[in-house]
Amino acid sequence: MTAPLSLIKGTLDTLVLKSLSWGPRHGFEVTSWLEERSTGHLAIDDGALYQALHRMEERELIRAEWGVTSNNRRARYYSMTPAGRAHLRAESSALVRYAETVVSILSARTA
Amino acid sequence: MSPLLPDGVRRLFRLSLRRPDLIHEAIDEELRFHIEERVAQLMARGMSADAARIEAIRRLGPSLPEVTQRLHHSAERKERSLAMHERFEEFRSDCRYALRGLARRPGFTAIAVLTLAVGIGANTAIFSAVNALLLRQLPFRAPNELMSIVLVAPATKESAPSDNPWSWPKFNFYRSVQRSHSDLALYANGNFIIGATESERVTGEWISDRYLGTLGIVPALGRDLPANLDAGPGAAPLALISDALWQRRFNADPATIGKTVSIDGRPFMVQGVLPAGFRGVTGRADVLVPITTRDAEDLTQSWSLEFSMIGRLKPGVSATSAESEAALLGTRIYDASPMKESTVGPDAKGGWSAAAHPLDALRVSPSVRRALLVLFGAVSFVLLIACVNLANLLLGRAAARRREIGIRLAVGAGRARLVRLLLAESLMLALLGGAASLLVAWLGTRLLQAANPMEALQAQGLAGLGVVGFANVSLDGAAMCFTIGVTLLVGIVFGLVPALHATRTQLTEALKEGTAATPVRGFHPGISRSMLVVVEVALAVVLLVGSGLMLRSLGNLLSINPGFDAEHVLTMRLGMIPGRIPRDSMPGFYNQLIERLRAIPGVEHAGLADCPPLNGGCNGTIITFPDRPEVKGAQAPGIGVHVVTSGWFGAMRVPLVRGRLFAESDRIGTEKVILISESAARKHWPGQDPIGKRAAIYQGGFHDGATVIGVVGEVRFGTIDSLPAPEVYMPYTQAPRPSLMIFVRGKGDAASLAPSVRQVIAELAVGYPIYDLQPMTERLITASAQSRFLASLLALFAVMALSLAVMGIYGVMAFGVQQRTREIGIRMALGAEPGSVLRLVIGEGAFLAGVGALIGVGAALLLTRVMRSLLFDVAPSDPTTYLVIVALLGAAALFASWIPARRASRVDPVEALRLG
Repeated sequence: MTAPLSLIKGTLDTLVLKSLSWGPRHGFEVTSWLEERSTGHLAIDDGALYQALHRMEERELIRAEWGVTSNNRRARYYSMTPAGRAHLRAESSALVRYAETVVSILSARTA
Repeated sequence: MSPLLPDGVRRLFRLSLRRPDLIHEAIDEELRFHIEERVAQLMARGMSADAARIEAIRRLGPSLPEVTQRLHHSAERKERSLAMHERFEEFRSDCRYALRGLARRPGFTAIAVLTLAVGIGANTAIFSAVNALLLRQLPFRAPNELMSIVLVAPATKESAPSDNPWSWPKFNFYRSVQRSHSDLALYANGNFIIGATESERVTGEWISDRYLGTLGIVPALGRDLPANLDAGPGAAPLALISDALWQRRFNADPATIGKTVSIDGRPFMVQGVLPAGFRGVTGRADVLVPITTRDAEDLTQSWSLEFSMIGRLKPGVSATSAESEAALLGTRIYDASPMKESTVGPDAKGGWSAAAHPLDALRVSPSVRRALLVLFGAVSFVLLIACVNLANLLLGRAAARRREIGIRLAVGAGRARLVRLLLAESLMLALLGGAASLLVAWLGTRLLQAANPMEALQAQGLAGLGVVGFANVSLDGAAMCFTIGVTLLVGIVFGLVPALHATRTQLTEALKEGTAATPVRGFHPGISRSMLVVVEVALAVVLLVGSGLMLRSLGNLLSINPGFDAEHVLTMRLGMIPGRIPRDSMPGFYNQLIERLRAIPGVEHAGLADCPPLNGGCNGTIITFPDRPEVKGAQAPGIGVHVVTSGWFGAMRVPLVRGRLFAESDRIGTEKVILISESAARKHWPGQDPIGKRAAIYQGGFHDGATVIGVVGEVRFGTIDSLPAPEVYMPYTQAPRPSLMIFVRGKGDAASLAPSVRQVIAELAVGYPIYDLQPMTERLITASAQSRFLASLLALFAVMALSLAVMGIYGVMAFGVQQRTREIGIRMALGAEPGSVLRLVIGEGAFLAGVGALIGVGAALLLTRVMRSLLFDVAPSDPTTYLVIVALLGAAALFASWIPARRASRVDPVEALRLG
């Protein structure tokens, strides 16, 4: 197994927003979703994730509210604000363009 | 308090969301939940409970305590920023709400904004003047290191010790012995004729070589004067010119440096161009010329006290030690370069000294400083009244919104929240007013620049350094800061009071039906509003009294008989190019000039004098009497000296009281003759006929004695408000002077003489510039410029104050009537006559005005004392002024309450009761 990839700065916010685009989630749900989708290839400390959540709440990209889980536990649920949705749109297309460019350069076969 | 309450509930009950312990608890709970979920997940994948727990914590990051701490920190930061944001949003929405409210009442808003715009704008304008004249640093390098050093003449029988400029030898002595200054320099005002053709007369300065160095000024182009110019007479003819002259006369050509230009008929090489805006310490110099290019005679006479000295303190030397050094060295100056006996009189050696002062202390004359401070005080009163009016308007508004405020309080709005809401409104008003005030301030500064009362004072040498003046009054950064500061202060302070007042409302009372349910005791339209009216009236009275006193003083000044008849007299100076006419031919030249001027049709008299009346003082010396016991030099009486032609008395209509005027036979070689003024006659020959008596005048070669041939009327040569001093007149033919002023009396308008006078002069003196040409009436007006300036501004402020006070009284009375329509209706239904209602309302207004006037008179008696030195022939407690002002204010107050009173007396009882 290759070593987990560390994230490019700012990418984590976009990924978190993506995970919230299907509706409110608590922190653990966000982490597990990211692990699942990345099949464990991304190295994200759980602590760093919560810090990112605070940062995004401060920038009003997301909102937090206490809620109750399916097995009746109190948990802090995060949901995307309209500003967050706009941010996600802009950032994900930029990231995709970036990745495609990098890939096309690196896969070049002629000089 | 449990952290388990939802945020929404906390908000609802205004419980703090942002106490650090609550934030921490929330974080801890979230983390706990996270770890439990993770452990459950890992155990589901087959890990043991212990291993799962270790792995869950490992995945958090560095260590549990550190992660916890980091999250506490980031959560606190987030909450703080959100809180700030929320506050800001709230403030923004308050402001929007306030603006909408203001837009809905355009009348109220316009009055309030206009009041503030005028109040703040006038303050900013006056502040700009105060800043430029009293506060702003002098435009030299490290100006607080600059000192002014003066020569102190001993006290005489008639005068206190006086500050004097220096002569060249005395300066040299002082420079050689002093230790406090790294640089010393001299300067003196000078007039120069520039150019051999198209000559023009410019103002300039005579300077010593380290002048620019001392001030820390470097020429913008070319070089400073070389440092060896002060060695002695006969220095290389080098000159520095101002940027303005360079632009105007030399088309800003860089090749001007090194060029030769004619100054006073001698070729000078332009050594450098001064930085733009620098016009010397006098503020008016276009050309700087070394003193050492003057005649050797001017540099060796220790008594020709002509040059002002400035010095730059050595690093680490304090102004105080330079001051004590000056006092110490001062006593040695006389012995080092004694004065000629004929100039100071016998035995006048003792008592001379020197003194040093920070240059900044001389920036403006004390009277200008005082006048500005009085104006600043007055204009701040205007603003205060404007603010009181604003507070009054806001109180009225708040009263009208009692129900709204009551409802808001009832549904749980906090008082602080409501105060903030109301404050936003006053702040918005203030900001609108502040923005509009910039226009007023801009107009004001333009007016101040144009009025420039200092110009007149400068011409009389009374204004201080010259470099500090009204020309520098501008809306600069300091003025902007002042405007912003005042605006915010006004918005907050004068909004806070009504806001606090309005939110004190009793809930139940405010919610009761209709405004008429408010308790009515007597006819007081609210005690706070009445108090504001009283304050306003009191402030207005102080301003009115101040301006009334100043106007009376101005009236007194204008009614002074200056001792001459200024009507129909044209005055001018002729720029004599030195050396063009030989000294011996000068009398002939002037004789010819006078004759030709007299030949102009419509000219009645033409005459010459070395110094015009109202000049702020002319030259003077001491007088002794050969037939009386000798007096000690410093004790000898002083006397003003004038060199005139006979025609001058005719031109100025200065009456001959006794004896005769000068005749053609009085010339060099014949017996020396003098005319004296009446006060000189009274003082020196009391009860005697002075005609034929002998006196020695220590000037113009008259110290051997001259015969009094006549007595003439008193003329004020100093300032318009200083009493005529004893004067002596010498005939021009016996005491020739190169530079004389021309006085021509015509039959009609003085200014209309100008073209023919110019033509005559141009024919006789080709290329000689004529300058300072103005009717004598102009000089008379200029002489009272400072008083006019002060009086007109104070009057303007007083009018503003009075109008605001009237508006205030009107507003309060009208509001009172409106609030009591129902009560008045009842009174009238019960049989009250309209007349009694009228009297009731007017009586209330008169009572408020009376109390205000009483307080105002008391305050004015105290405050106008600072104006004593600015007033001429009026006591600050002048009863007439006070009576007139109180009567004026009473009339205004009656007028202001009469309109609402009339409205009250016309209330229809039926209508009023139904509406109630």
